[in-house]
Amino acid sequence: MTPGDDEARLRAALAEAHREDATPSFEATWAAARRSTPRRSTWRWAVVGTGLAVAAAGVWLVTRPTPPPAAPILGTRWVGPTDFLLETPDLMTLRTLPPLDPAADPWTARPPAPRGNP
Amino acid sequence: MASVELEQQIAALHPASFAWALACTRWNTPEAEEVLQSVYLSILEGRARFDGRSSFKTWLFAVVRNMAARARRRRWLEERWKSFGRATIGGVVDPVLVEERGARVRSALGMLPVRQREVLDLVFFHEMTVEQAAQVMDVSTGTARTHYHRGKLRLLELLGTEDPP
Repeated sequence: MTPGDDEARLRAALAEAHREDATPSFEATWAAARRSTPRRSTWRWAVVGTGLAVAAAGVWLVTRPTPPPAAPILGTRWVGPTDFLLETPDLMTLRTLPPLDPAADPWTARPPAPRGNP
Repeated sequence: MASVELEQQIAALHPASFAWALACTRWNTPEAEEVLQSVYLSILEGRARFDGRSSFKTWLFAVVRNMAARARRRRWLEERWKSFGRATIGGVVDPVLVEERGARVRSALGMLPVRQREVLDLVFFHEMTVEQAAQVMDVSTGTARTHYHRGKLRLLELLGTEDPP
């Protein structure tokens, strides 16, 4: 069997495979595609609209004015039972700078006046 | 391209496009119809545009092939989901129809790898050259030629020694 015979045989086999193709009419298929176009665009608009709504909600959440922090109610400060442990000796010294006498500071004190040579 | 001219070209190629869609979907007629409808829809919506780099038929067949591949992937996922924990689902070719000759050829074609089946259908049924088939299949000409030769040998082997039609 020659290659030409093989090709003729395959061509015939493929034609046989396609012999019973029940092709739908072009008009029907085209019309069905046309009909589904607006549905697709409606769907697309719905997606775009939802996206815009979500974006707007996000912007509002980020930029909305925040309420001022609530003032603590007097007499309601909670004191823990072990808070006294934090009260260390010399707490005042640790919380504030000790006042230093500038005159006693060797760095800021004025240098002694030079003694004159005879 | 004007829409009327485009529609006329598509209409002229409609039977060939449907035959190609059938080959791409393993002769699953409802799926082929759905694929072709999706192709027309994507053309109408402008998602698929003919840019003139190939012949119109080559371009249209490439769009059909891509759409069929997408449908095949979707169907595969659906079947995987449905058959989760069950036995795998068989081929699309109806075993009742395997008695007739056309169905026997389709069954033999169904045993070939996708690329081999595609190139044989394009060359022997749609009268394309291997180069045009390569464009439709989005592979190099060398690759298409390899699939063509392997597919030819395999299909002849599968068709066996029965009398030529």
